[in-house]
Amino acid sequence: MRFLLDIVNTAEAGGVPFLVNLVSAAEEGAGHPKGPPELPNIVTVIYDQFSSAGFAQFLHHWENVFFSLLIALFLGTLCHFASRKPQLVPKGLQNFLEMIVEGLSNFVCGILGEEGKKYVPFLGTLFIYILCMNLFGLVPGMKSPSSSINTTAALAITVFAYVQYTGIRKLGVLGYLDHFAGRPRDLVGIMLVPLMFPLHIISELAKPLSLSLRLFGNIMGEDVLIAVFVGLGVSILAFTNLPLGVPIHFPFVFLAMLTSAVQALVFAALSTIYFLMMFPHEEH
Amino acid sequence: MTFQTALGLSVPLAVSIAAFASALGLGKMGAAAMEAIGRQPEAAPKIQLAMIIGFAFIEALTIYALVTMFVLQTKIS
Repeated sequence: MRFLLDIVNTAEAGGVPFLVNLVSAAEEGAGHPKGPPELPNIVTVIYDQFSSAGFAQFLHHWENVFFSLLIALFLGTLCHFASRKPQLVPKGLQNFLEMIVEGLSNFVCGILGEEGKKYVPFLGTLFIYILCMNLFGLVPGMKSPSSSINTTAALAITVFAYVQYTGIRKLGVLGYLDHFAGRPRDLVGIMLVPLMFPLHIISELAKPLSLSLRLFGNIMGEDVLIAVFVGLGVSILAFTNLPLGVPIHFPFVFLAMLTSAVQALVFAALSTIYFLMMFPHEEH
Repeated sequence: MTFQTALGLSVPLAVSIAAFASALGLGKMGAAAMEAIGRQPEAAPKIQLAMIIGFAFIEALTIYALVTMFVLQTKIS
């Protein structure tokens, strides 16, 4: 409640257009360039109150890492409690988690085939982790770590490295180079090698770039949209000087839930397809 | 015309053009996928997965424009 009041007060006092002012006060205080508006979260509120304290500055600096670790901790604890006393006939939490794991396993194996079993833990974790990160921004006082390019780039680089490693393991070094050269088998193929080689390298490097930018842009876009509409709702009732707002951002929360799920699915599905492209395949 | 004015005029235009073009692409793709599901309802999950992946590829282009807008937005003021 306190930070909402702060927002109203700053909007009243400054006399500047409110939407610009929604940028968390912490950011302005630190002299950072103004970015797009974002909702206040726990870390920015703490930083606002104790901006000179060391721990608050530390938290503010590692904001996204803090929330990512929070999510990892949450997921780890959940799985620990669900699998502490495994039963043959699962019920309750264990049943729910087994349903998710089975669904993910079917999804990955449906694309990769039988040998895809090995990659289910990695790709499934990716899906669940990204889904939780995306949805975390909708919890009041929390922030989506995936609305920062650093988080999504880290995930995309992990996928990139694992895919290349799998390619070298599955195809061998020569087969890997052969794959990059476009599998030349006749004279025309060999003549096309100088063209195919840079093309393949660029397309490999474009994969992590587009993966990270897609997730980052979508999640940041939805968060900014919600922040703008919350700001609009608060500024409508700003004349009452009460910490109130009209919840006109409400429909966009459902839109954000949809895009969160779709983006998590897309990230996992595209990673799976990148694995599939590295598998040795017959003539096509 | 200062460069801020030029950016203020062109950046929203860039995003809207990108959104317009990918909306056309998405509409075409969605229509084709729906038609395919209508023809073969039993293949719906496979078609949906391919559709969502294709959506992501098309949508990414708009998102690039949006990210460019966020990068350039800080330079306007």
